[in-house]
Amino acid sequence: MSTQRPPEGILCSKSHEWVLDDGELCTIGLTDYAVEQLGDIVFVELPEIDSEFAKGEVFATIESVKAASEIYMPVGGKVVEINEELINAPELINENVWEKGWLIKVKCDTLSEDTLGLMEYEDYREEVA
Amino acid sequence: MKQTTLHDEHIKLNAKMVEFGGWHMPVSYSSIIEEHKAVRNSVGIFDVSHMGQIFVSGDDALNFLQKLLPQDVSKFSENHAHYCQLTYPSGGMVDDLIVYRLKDKYLIIANASRIEADFEWFEMNKSGFNINLENKSDEYSMIALQGPNAYKIIEKAGVENKSLPKFFTICEQKLLNFDVYLCRTGYTGEDGFEVIVKNENAIKLWQDFLNLGKEFNILPVGLGARDTLRLEAGLCLYGSDINEDITPIEADLAWSVPKDKKEDYNGREVILNQRLKNTPLRKKLFAFEINDRVIARHGAKVYFQGIECGVVTSGSISPILGKSIGLCVISFEGENANLVTSLNTKEKSIGTDIEIMVRNKLYNAKIVKKPFVEKKYVK
Repeated sequence: MSTQRPPEGILCSKSHEWVLDDGELCTIGLTDYAVEQLGDIVFVELPEIDSEFAKGEVFATIESVKAASEIYMPVGGKVVEINEELINAPELINENVWEKGWLIKVKCDTLSEDTLGLMEYEDYREEVA
Repeated sequence: MKQTTLHDEHIKLNAKMVEFGGWHMPVSYSSIIEEHKAVRNSVGIFDVSHMGQIFVSGDDALNFLQKLLPQDVSKFSENHAHYCQLTYPSGGMVDDLIVYRLKDKYLIIANASRIEADFEWFEMNKSGFNINLENKSDEYSMIALQGPNAYKIIEKAGVENKSLPKFFTICEQKLLNFDVYLCRTGYTGEDGFEVIVKNENAIKLWQDFLNLGKEFNILPVGLGARDTLRLEAGLCLYGSDINEDITPIEADLAWSVPKDKKEDYNGREVILNQRLKNTPLRKKLFAFEINDRVIARHGAKVYFQGIECGVVTSGSISPILGKSIGLCVISFEGENANLVTSLNTKEKSIGTDIEIMVRNKLYNAKIVKKPFVEKKYVK
């Protein structure tokens, strides 16, 4: 897993989420470090489409064999898409955290403000090392 | 934190380490689910050196253990293992144990977190008995090989098939030139062995087992999979499912408690009356399954027909069934007494719908039979 490269331009939060802005939508997922710590992920609870969350709010719960973890919004926004594949195949997060393991896509109108305090991947890895 | 003799081997194998009962132990080396499946399908190796070895010998060893255990120790055959409980006069449990009857002494395997409490309890109860108590936990390591291919590794280590100990027995054996206690026991529901070896030989034996197991794709297995394996097999964990507030009968361990033991023992009045169904149980341990994608973990509240009546004691996913499973203790006292009469016999309780609260939401669960996954002991 650690051999996979993160997508160019992702930003990471101290609570171990990543966000990638494609100009229109923001894709949100868990970092490789977080997934390593959690171990085998067995259930994923994702939010409803159209629900809205502020930066820092809990939007999902992930159960690994060891523990349940709440996942926080790295930026605020309205949920426009969820990764439905994860419902039946939560192990995709362990297997391919950057591409197949994304959690939700949101429309964020306050991106420049919300990304303050987020870190580039290399800085994040140093922070958690 | 205490370290086992094999601690540095775990670090070399890149194990994720955690604190467990005062010990720095591997929780997982690769993936809990992979490790779990290796044990069910082939073989896994565990460091269980944190567990205690207490020897009881002397003229009164039998009478002493008769006073401490609900089991009838006079019926233990030489070289046989017995699942036992160490009970308080209240009927609650100090610990649960495996007791081996050796030629001239008894070997007791205690839970890591309870070694001191057990030993103290032995000391408190020994007056008047001519016995010799030795806590040798710091001299011995214990390595478990578990799974359908475990016996092949013991054979490759020099024990002929016909000399392998039978299920739930122990023998003193030369294994790769080391003197060990070789026991056909475990905590996974699979066939397998627990090897008790002097610390100075433990690292070599661990490495040799890993090498001999290569052709069977042996995996080192941490405490994470040890927990999911024992839960699938319906085996209790002291400190989670059982403790000083629950009797062996209430914990659904009646199969291990004889109805006809004549000698007095700590907790006999409570335990025997419950065993003979002369007194109602105050609570009972049940197994449950949840169909939703949620795990009800230790401490989650259990409801029956809308009324809170118990608590989850262990909960996880079953990697084999792909289902959320667990154990819970339901109270039969107070307001619940009438509500739960339908749960107080095994026959009536299986299939009963209950609800469990997880993150402020109630999920439907069903009481099911133990074990969740059939045991595959080779008897």
